[in-house]
Amino acid sequence: MPSPAALRAHVESALGERLSSTLLLREKIAPLTVSTGVAGLDALTGGLPRGALSEITGPASSGRTGVMLAALAGATRRDEACALVDASDNFDPASAAAAGVDLDRLLWVRCGESDRASPSNAQQRTALGRLEQVLKVTDLLLQGGGFGMVVLDLGDIPPGSVRRVPLTSWFRFRRAVEPTTTILLIVEREPCAKTCASLVVRLQRTAVCARDAASPSETEFHGWRVLSRTEPAIPHANAVSHAALLHGMQLRAEVVLSWMQRKPVQSVGTDFELRAGW
Amino acid sequence: MFACIFIPDFPVAAIVRAEPLLREHAVAVLDGKPPQVRVFALNDKGRLLGMEIGMTKLQASIFAAAKPERAPATKTVAKKKPAQIEFGARHTKTQPPPANAIFRQRSPVQEDSAHAALLDVAHAFTPRVEDTHPDRLLLDLGGLERLYGPATAMARQLASRVSSVGLDCNIGTAANPDAAMHAACGFSGVTVIPVGEEASRLGVLPIAVLLDSLDLAHGSEAETSTSARERNKLHEQMLDTLERWGVRDFRTLALLPEHALASRLGEAGTRLQQLSRGAGTRTLALCEPQTHFEEAMELESAVETLEPLSFLLNRLLEQLCARLEARALAVQELSLRLQLEPRVADEQTTTLQELEKAGELHDLYTRTLRLPVAMRDPKVFLKLLQLDLAAHPPGAPVCKLWLAAEPAQPRSAQRGLFLPITPEAEKLEITLARINGVVGERRAGIAKVLDTYRPDAFHMERFVSQQEDRTPGGDLTLADTASAPPVALRIFRPARRIRVQLIKGRPCKVTALDQHADRNELQGKILWSAGPWRSSGDWWAERSAPFKTNPEEAHVWDREEWDIALAADNGGGVALYRIYYETGTGHWFADASYD
Repeated sequence: MPSPAALRAHVESALGERLSSTLLLREKIAPLTVSTGVAGLDALTGGLPRGALSEITGPASSGRTGVMLAALAGATRRDEACALVDASDNFDPASAAAAGVDLDRLLWVRCGESDRASPSNAQQRTALGRLEQVLKVTDLLLQGGGFGMVVLDLGDIPPGSVRRVPLTSWFRFRRAVEPTTTILLIVEREPCAKTCASLVVRLQRTAVCARDAASPSETEFHGWRVLSRTEPAIPHANAVSHAALLHGMQLRAEVVLSWMQRKPVQSVGTDFELRAGW
Repeated sequence: MFACIFIPDFPVAAIVRAEPLLREHAVAVLDGKPPQVRVFALNDKGRLLGMEIGMTKLQASIFAAAKPERAPATKTVAKKKPAQIEFGARHTKTQPPPANAIFRQRSPVQEDSAHAALLDVAHAFTPRVEDTHPDRLLLDLGGLERLYGPATAMARQLASRVSSVGLDCNIGTAANPDAAMHAACGFSGVTVIPVGEEASRLGVLPIAVLLDSLDLAHGSEAETSTSARERNKLHEQMLDTLERWGVRDFRTLALLPEHALASRLGEAGTRLQQLSRGAGTRTLALCEPQTHFEEAMELESAVETLEPLSFLLNRLLEQLCARLEARALAVQELSLRLQLEPRVADEQTTTLQELEKAGELHDLYTRTLRLPVAMRDPKVFLKLLQLDLAAHPPGAPVCKLWLAAEPAQPRSAQRGLFLPITPEAEKLEITLARINGVVGERRAGIAKVLDTYRPDAFHMERFVSQQEDRTPGGDLTLADTASAPPVALRIFRPARRIRVQLIKGRPCKVTALDQHADRNELQGKILWSAGPWRSSGDWWAERSAPFKTNPEEAHVWDREEWDIALAADNGGGVALYRIYYETGTGHWFADASYD
């Protein structure tokens, strides 16, 4: 009985002329990565991989949108064209501008409600659900090419609906971005792309820092750390209202899946803070 | 050196240009009002069938349906019937005659388009162009040898360019304009007459060619004032006179004694003899290059669906882009006008005559595509028009269409290798048009934040790929990243109706009132709240509305805002929301969530 090594050498020598890489695993090339815009997340994940699908998940008020805006701000600062497919029409341009996003380089596609001003296609659009619109628009954007970052904001879509998106759609998106330098980023409540994703990060809010005139001392209340009131912020045009309320949110990010390590053997996480942009 | 571009059977050529499939058929162009509809122009294949100009439609249709015997190998109409010479038919080669002829109504708009295309080609070649007649142009080629080569190369290049706009032409070059014109009208293909050989080369041409050019030499005013019938009568009289003398070609006429000819035919006779010798000379009446680019097409039967209309648009776009390419221009704006089929009159209220008098019988449907960058790709335009018409259908069958382009200088982009990627302008336009078809008009673009305190104040603008030659910043390093990203708002559009219970003036419980899918997330106990912050504005605006209908429009707002931490009843955890009390209506709304 020949040894496995001898058997392998025999097979390779027999097929070597016809097949260049017989029985050899193809070396996986590490993708190019760019910053997420958050130093803590970069240290944890190594950045967002280009030509791959990444997911940022978490419940409401867990800082998903803040991280998304930070990533978009970084991409537009690199002069890349970006696209945001907004499933629920929740995007706030004022918040994005405050986060440093160059709105001139961001194509915002507002899915969902049909336009009242042009009812000619309303019937057709009503037939298309929000998710169907998102998938169609994403297909068009990826086929058109030329975008540095395409973001799918499914943050307010119920996880049950997102789970019904067939895996073939995510696989198609992954195949579409693979030969490009486009970053496909999905913001959602729960992971949905499964093995098609190269990076999955889960966010959780650990505490909220707030200023409250009614409570001048710093207190802890239901996981809330209420700080004493400092000088009031000066409201200005385009600023988000209630400039004096939120000081920030403390978050914990956990890597669920990473291109560096397909199956993390233990929970890997980091803590960072969102601060008010006003 | 001068050149003449001549389009044989121009009315037919103009129609064949719009319908290239007719090239293989016998085509007869009809003109006149019923019952006096007669054959106005024919192509070679139509002549082979036996049809003649001036026949009534009924007479022509007899020939059109019949299958004549095979034409002789060197048959020319000129030898058989010298009195009814048609230029294009003399040089007919051996070809099997087509079985059936196709009749088309004369289309002045298509003839105008063909003539405009011809002018564009000529002006792209040389700025010195004389618009002699719709079917012929004279060009001054002086000084162009260094650019295009010898006269033969110039003539071939000219023929090639005319062919690129869908017209078959004859080209003649000679030392004087008239000789060039006679060469183009008398010989098919490209004819180059060397200096000094005009008389010998033109000598074989029939005298009818000369008479036709004599009319043109008298000026366009004479032509417009006399009807075509009178002109034909004059031709026939002159032709009969010369035939009685035995003069049938240029050579014979050139050999006649000058004084005797002048005494019998007058000044016209002297001029004719001079032209027949190829010795006449004159100055070209130059025309200005046109700046309006429009192609038009009249349809025999109205088109009802988008698919056949797309074929027609494709032809128009290709012709338009070929004209623009000849002038090295691109398109900045594309306007499509569709003449819709007459409406069916309501018997009770109006009649067709009343509608026609009111100008409502023929509806004009116009669509305009304003492009962010100048382009010249007919496929891109076709796709954009298809998507636009699919989103905005005309609503009635189309019987006539015009396509006009506003010209602009083409882009001269030479981008760097290391610049960030941006979408190609052409692809981006199509992608945006398709996205608009999915999500609706004005729901994809750039958000511009308005300079106001009004909440959620922005307006949408068209997204344009910004290709600036800036030094790339490269990927961000860790040092460039923010240690703490900003808190963002997620706006609910429209704001969701809620009911709020107050204790000592502060909200303590929220209940969702609308039928939104996430209503369970928006109801529960309020753990913490901050507010109220009162804001109001735009009460001075003229176009103020009590409720927010369009975020771009000014509207009165007067509200008290609260920030709350809500523990949802469905166990979804604690979330931060912004809610407000609208003082005008007394209603509570959830405006946004913090994320």
